Amino acid sequence: MTPMPWHDTDLADALDALRRDVAHVETPPHVEAAVLAAWDRAHAPHVDTRAGQVWRRMGAIAASVIVAAGLGQLGRELQRTTQASELARSSGTVLLVGEPILRGEPVRVVRMRVPASTLIAMGVRSATDGEHVDVDVIVGEDGIARAIRVGM
Amino acid sequence: MIGGTFPASAAITSQMRDATGATAGDLADSDLMQRTAAGDREAFATLYHRHHAMVYRFARLMTGSDSAAEDIVQEVFLVVMRDASRYDPARSALSSYLYGVARHHTRRRLARDRQFVGFESAAADVAEPIADGDVTATLERRQTLLQLRRAIVSLPRRYREVIVLCDLQDVSYSDASTVLGCAIGTVRSRLHRARHLLTRKMGRAAGSEEDHPRLTERCA
Repeated sequence: MTPMPWHDTDLADALDALRRDVAHVETPPHVEAAVLAAWDRAHAPHVDTRAGQVWRRMGAIAASVIVAAGLGQLGRELQRTTQASELARSSGTVLLVGEPILRGEPVRVVRMRVPASTLIAMGVRSATDGEHVDVDVIVGEDGIARAIRVGM
Repeated sequence: MIGGTFPASAAITSQMRDATGATAGDLADSDLMQRTAAGDREAFATLYHRHHAMVYRFARLMTGSDSAAEDIVQEVFLVVMRDASRYDPARSALSSYLYGVARHHTRRRLARDRQFVGFESAAADVAEPIADGDVTATLERRQTLLQLRRAIVSLPRRYREVIVLCDLQDVSYSDASTVLGCAIGTVRSRLHRARHLLTRKMGRAAGSEEDHPRLTERCA
C-alpha cells in the first residue's frame, strides 16, 4: 500500500466539513426526558406512609405527656417551697403541720387562743408572756390544718 | 442510562417569569446555575437546552458512540443538578465547566469499555439527499468524513481532545487550556501533533481505499 499524499489543507477542508456535519447533530429527545425525570425524582416531595404518620403522631403525643407530667411535678415541688418561704417571710413563726398549701388552694385562717405550753411542746417559744397565745391556724379546703402561724 | 418516565405536562414549555420580568431563557448561565442550585426546574431545563448539544457532540466525537454520548450527557447534567452550588463563574465559563465534566465522564466511560465503539450511526449523520448530478462527489465526501471520524477516534486521547475541542467544537485555545488543565502552549503543541497524526492516518486511509474501491453504495 502506498500512502496517498494528504496535506494540511486537505485535513483542514475535511475537518471543516466534519465540523459543519456534526453541527446538525442533536441529542435525542429521550435523553432530555430522562434528565428531567431524574430532576423530578430528586426534587419530589417526600411522601409519608399512613402508618408512619400514625406512629409519628403517637410518639409525639407520648413525648408531650411525659414532658407535661415531669413539668407538673417540678412545678408542684417549686410551689411548696415558694409558699413555705412566703409564709415564713410574712410572720414570726410558721409551723407546717400537714400537707403543704397548693397555689390557688382555698384556705381559711382560724385564729385561736391556745395555751403557751402547747406551743412549747411543739418546740416554739412565743414572743409574748402569758399563759395563752393567739395563733392563726391555716385550714385547707378539706378541713385539715396546713400550718400554724405564731407571733402575730 | 437513566430510566423513568417523563410527564408531557412537565415539558419545557412554560415561560415562568421572575420578579424582574425576565424569563429563564434571558438569564446568564451563572444565574441559571444559582437558580438550579435553589431547585428551579425551569432554570435547569434552560441550561440543558442551552448546552446539551455541545456536550453530546463532544462526547460522541470522543467516544465514537451514540449510546455512550447519550449516557455522558445524562451524567453531566446530573452533576449540574447535584453540584450547581459548587460552580464558580469566576473560575471558568459554564461551557468550559461542562466540557471538563464531560471529559471526566468520557475518560471513565472509555476506561470502562476498554475499547472504542464503532460509529453505529455514522451513515445517518451524512444522510443528505444525493442529487443526481453529484452522486460520486457526495459519496466521496461521506467516505472521507467516515474515515476522518475513525482517524480521530483512533488518536491518543490527549490529541483527540484538542482536535475535538479546537477544530470541531470551535473552543478557543484559552478555554481549551482551562478544560484540559494545561497551558495554552501545550494545547497548541498537542494540536499541531494531532493534526500531523491525522494527516498521516488520512493519507494511509486514502491509499488503502485506492487498493479497495470505496464507492460501493448505490443510488436508486
